[in-house]
Amino acid sequence: MTDKTEKAPEVVGFACSYCTFKASEMAGSLRMKYPEKVRVIQVPCSSRVDPAFVIKAIFEGADGVFVSGCHPGDCHFIRGNYFTRRKMAALKEMFKAFSMEGKVKLFWISAAEARKFIEKITNFYNELREEKNAGKKN
Amino acid sequence: MRAGIFICHCGHNIKHTVDVRYLSEYFKKIPGVVVSIDYAFVCSEPGQDIIKESIENQKLDRVVIASCTPSLHGDLFRDLLKKSGTNPFYLKRVSIREHCSWVGDDIEANTEKAKRLILSGLYAASHYIPLEEKMVEVNKSALVIGGGVSGLSAALFLARMGIKVYLIEREKELGGHVRLLNKVWPSMRNGKEIIRELIDEIERLDNVEIYTDTIITNFEGFFGNYQVTINNNGQERKFIVGGVVVATGFTPFDPSIKPELHYKKDKRIVTTLDLEKGIEYLELPKKPRVAILHCIGSRDETIGRSYCSRICCINSLKTAEEIKQRYPDSFVESFYMDVRAHPRGGEEYFESLQEKGVLFTRGNVAEIIPTDKNIIIRGEDTLLGEVYEKEFDLVVLSIGMSTAFDSRALGQLLKISLDKDGFFLEAHIKLRPFDTAVKGIFIAGSCSGPKDTEESINHGRASALKLFGMLNLGYAFVEPFISYVDPKRCSGCRQCEEACIAKAIKFDEKLRVVKVEEAACMGCGLCNATCPSSAISLKGYFDSFIADEISGLLEIA
Repeated sequence: MTDKTEKAPEVVGFACSYCTFKASEMAGSLRMKYPEKVRVIQVPCSSRVDPAFVIKAIFEGADGVFVSGCHPGDCHFIRGNYFTRRKMAALKEMFKAFSMEGKVKLFWISAAEARKFIEKITNFYNELREEKNAGKKN
Repeated sequence: MRAGIFICHCGHNIKHTVDVRYLSEYFKKIPGVVVSIDYAFVCSEPGQDIIKESIENQKLDRVVIASCTPSLHGDLFRDLLKKSGTNPFYLKRVSIREHCSWVGDDIEANTEKAKRLILSGLYAASHYIPLEEKMVEVNKSALVIGGGVSGLSAALFLARMGIKVYLIEREKELGGHVRLLNKVWPSMRNGKEIIRELIDEIERLDNVEIYTDTIITNFEGFFGNYQVTINNNGQERKFIVGGVVVATGFTPFDPSIKPELHYKKDKRIVTTLDLEKGIEYLELPKKPRVAILHCIGSRDETIGRSYCSRICCINSLKTAEEIKQRYPDSFVESFYMDVRAHPRGGEEYFESLQEKGVLFTRGNVAEIIPTDKNIIIRGEDTLLGEVYEKEFDLVVLSIGMSTAFDSRALGQLLKISLDKDGFFLEAHIKLRPFDTAVKGIFIAGSCSGPKDTEESINHGRASALKLFGMLNLGYAFVEPFISYVDPKRCSGCRQCEEACIAKAIKFDEKLRVVKVEEAACMGCGLCNATCPSSAISLKGYFDSFIADEISGLLEIA
């Protein structure tokens, strides 16, 4: 499929069970395709994601981490995703110091948006792949 | 740890892109894994027997089932573990179908991905602790939102089975849109009669409370014990219900959104719903020329309604027949995209109308030009490839269904999701078409997508039946995924108390630590992510579980 010498990035995602994980299930049922290196961990709510998990994933070798929850205002736990938004904003601010802000993404994907889920993660994957293979060509 | 790994082939669904044989061999070598089996259908009875026997013979204390997504068959496997004598929360479900075999084509990469997913599942499971489900009493009462035909059918069914029913309706009168219909397909009976019969039967029962002119203002709680606040004509009332059937129906599409249709500006342009009042009031000439326009407000990307409304083709055919009956010498022409006479007998009805002389022209109308004498219609006949321009005395717009105007607000109140068109989303399109993602809340009728009267009644009764099955048990188990505090680690900084959305965390002034009120905890895990000293943890999603899940996904194997 891809060039053998090209390095494929590893992507870990945290998906809330009520919205994004449901969207990823639907994407599966609809046989939509996305890169195999993208793997999703189910959490009850996006607010369960401690920024430490994101850092841990990057330490362990992930090239990118996405956290994804319900749309603002649609959270099953009423306001959980607002906390996520703040935490991730702070984390990104911290990552900026190391020019690593591109490694973290926060998405809002509802249970019905399987297509959006595919688009978002594929774009993220492609961005990371380009970054990882930058300067390698020629 | 004595773990058992069961890998499902799911027929060919998983097997065709994942090398399951290799995986089961691979996991046999992992320390702590006692059993590693791949089987054609783990959820089938022989498959369940294999798991049960392995647990009993090998004394397994962790079970990892790699198969479909956890929300499918979750209860089935949990019950199986219970029956086999282990704690059901020693189960870890790994999704290698929806999240692996169905989304990738490359066998090698998929097998690698499945390996990592199962490994991370195994790592997480290694930390699992036994949890206990709490049994709660279920209130044998139900709330039915919406007094249309599906809501009435649901309320009637529940009331007959002895459930206390609160039926609330936004309008002043029960009956919804069916009440407005002159003839209801396929029996062609009067809509008012159908509704009258339902209401009469409901009023005969004494365990139904009907509130018209009512909206819900507050809704909280969990299955078996939902606290509802309604506003009945300015008066506030509160009650507790076990479950909910949402049957808020639809809003007929308003053609004035599209100004080019000239609806409401010209009284010779009417909708199919207007014609249910009769056609006499229009004062048509003896030999009227009538155009019927299909797909108004359906299958139209420009106004964000790309779905088929399912009912409007039959409505157009019904209108054509009505006009032909009233004015035998009339000329009726139907402009369609596709005639989708969905329900049983629909196709025959369509043919019988063609025989009666109704002309069907394929091609949507591009322009409507009202003049003093008549209405000119322009468009392209897509079968002949010709442009037509015709004159008519009456234009009938066959309108589709839009979502009820407040469905988004109601969805937020009940915490149920909407699909891309704004209809309520079912838990699973095939296996759980009546359930929502929230336990004890069911959807009925056209609030979950366009449906005709017959389907709405069926949907209402089916939802009621499913809810009855849950309420009639009298008890339910609450998932034990709630927070708990380790008082030795808690420093009493009270950050979690501030963050908690459900206000379930209380500070103990004497001991200077926080406490979790179990009944109020929703299980979001926000406190766990907030705590600076890792003193508060969400059961089932401990820091160590997720941290090791991450390691499993990324470990160089």
